[in-house]
Amino acid sequence: MAKHDTPMLDELEKGPWPSFVTDMKRQAETHPECWDILGQLELSYEDRITHWKHGGIVGVFGYGGGIVGRYSDVPDRFPGVEHFHTVRVNQPAGLYYSTENLRALMDLWDKYGSGMTNMHGSTGDMILLGTRTENLEPLFWDLTHDLGQDLGGSGSNLRTPSCCLGESRCEWACYDTQDICYALTMHYQDEIHRPAFPYKFKFKFSGCANDCVAAIARSDFAVIGTWKDDIQIDQAAVKEYVAGNYPANGGAHKDGDWGPFNLKKEVIDLCPTQCMWMEGDELKIDNSECNRCMHCINVMPRALRPGKEKGATICIGAKAPILDGAQFATMIIPFIEVSKDNEYENIIDVIERIWDWWMEVGKNRERVGETMQRVGLPTFLSVMEVEPIPQHVKEPRSNPYVFWKEEEVPGGFERDIVEFRKRHAA
Amino acid sequence: MAMSVEEVEAAIIEKAKKAPKPQLYIKDFYKCAPDMKPRQIKKIANKLVEKGELMFWSSGSTTMYARPDRIKDEEGAEGIN
Repeated sequence: MAKHDTPMLDELEKGPWPSFVTDMKRQAETHPECWDILGQLELSYEDRITHWKHGGIVGVFGYGGGIVGRYSDVPDRFPGVEHFHTVRVNQPAGLYYSTENLRALMDLWDKYGSGMTNMHGSTGDMILLGTRTENLEPLFWDLTHDLGQDLGGSGSNLRTPSCCLGESRCEWACYDTQDICYALTMHYQDEIHRPAFPYKFKFKFSGCANDCVAAIARSDFAVIGTWKDDIQIDQAAVKEYVAGNYPANGGAHKDGDWGPFNLKKEVIDLCPTQCMWMEGDELKIDNSECNRCMHCINVMPRALRPGKEKGATICIGAKAPILDGAQFATMIIPFIEVSKDNEYENIIDVIERIWDWWMEVGKNRERVGETMQRVGLPTFLSVMEVEPIPQHVKEPRSNPYVFWKEEEVPGGFERDIVEFRKRHAA
Repeated sequence: MAMSVEEVEAAIIEKAKKAPKPQLYIKDFYKCAPDMKPRQIKKIANKLVEKGELMFWSSGSTTMYARPDRIKDEEGAEGIN
């Protein structure tokens, strides 16, 4: 029995697609507070303004993240959502759950919360939507003690690191994404649970350039698997693809009416750097021109494989639009070894070089990508102690001014700044 | 001479007591110990939270620090913004 009239929301139940309104009405049968979400949302549609307030001091003791406070600004009308806090639960690496674990989590959330979830948030966390302040500590106790799970990151913390499923199922993974994700999650517990930075900071780990966790678009620090040497070619398998004996794209498009596989049209002509060609019935690749887009490997997985000398590219500074619009991460380190033998020491060194600089130079609420944009790439590369390479250059410069440091000019130069300022005031 | 941890703690508490707004960013504490690295200051500020001298205050997207008594005085016990 509906507690509130929701004519506008009811419109969203029409049509063939799934409806969150229907889902919430069903949930309201066991959690009556869900009626108040619908009632408040209907009111927001009428008023054309949100009736949620967020923020405040809610959390669990010792943690400065993982819980996001939510309150209704019309609690008298909708008492079920007077408090409606969000809880972020750190997901397992690669998003592998057992059904037993999922059932235990849902039982926990039925006990302490609204039962509503958002699987998953942008950092991969399981988002549990809607509980009261007094339920937070008991929920946290059961989560950590009975289920052995922890809260994720929020606010100006290191956000919950996430990764693709990597070597567990994918033949293209160039490093063990799940291992590094877990190792760095444990290494940076303090940064995940307590505020550390001018603003949020996200790690994401993709095993190859297919980038299944969209690290390059969504993370401040994207570690994307790559290789240094040549793409491995099995010429016999290439012939099988050409003959139509192996399905292209692993059979993903076998039901489409695409006609027989055409290697020139579907692979060679689509290579973004035009670095492939046929010599007789042999496929040739100029690997020095390959930009690791993965297209040819995706189309002919039995004939082509990533090289043997594997590692990762580090791209820094992606973000969603708040200040200057959305931006992809910038490639900073073209190749770095990723090895559990050294406990990822070299990756940690890069991360902490960024943090030490950004914590000093970054403005409040400024993502590292925005700080990079503000100071310019040459300054950032110099901070990172990375030698500029042609791949750092996106386009020919439009700024005609070139500034040289003394050590960059053979023979150097001398300038008395005091004397100079006598003639040219700053 | 470098400041001791106790001196930095005292300077942070003083700053949190006297700042015009009760909520402070971690960067606001950097000037309390100019010779110290930001990550060390962050660790000291978080220790002060453990001791109850400071508390976390979250806007949802950003986490700030505040003196518990100032938040209660200025925002009410619930700390709702």
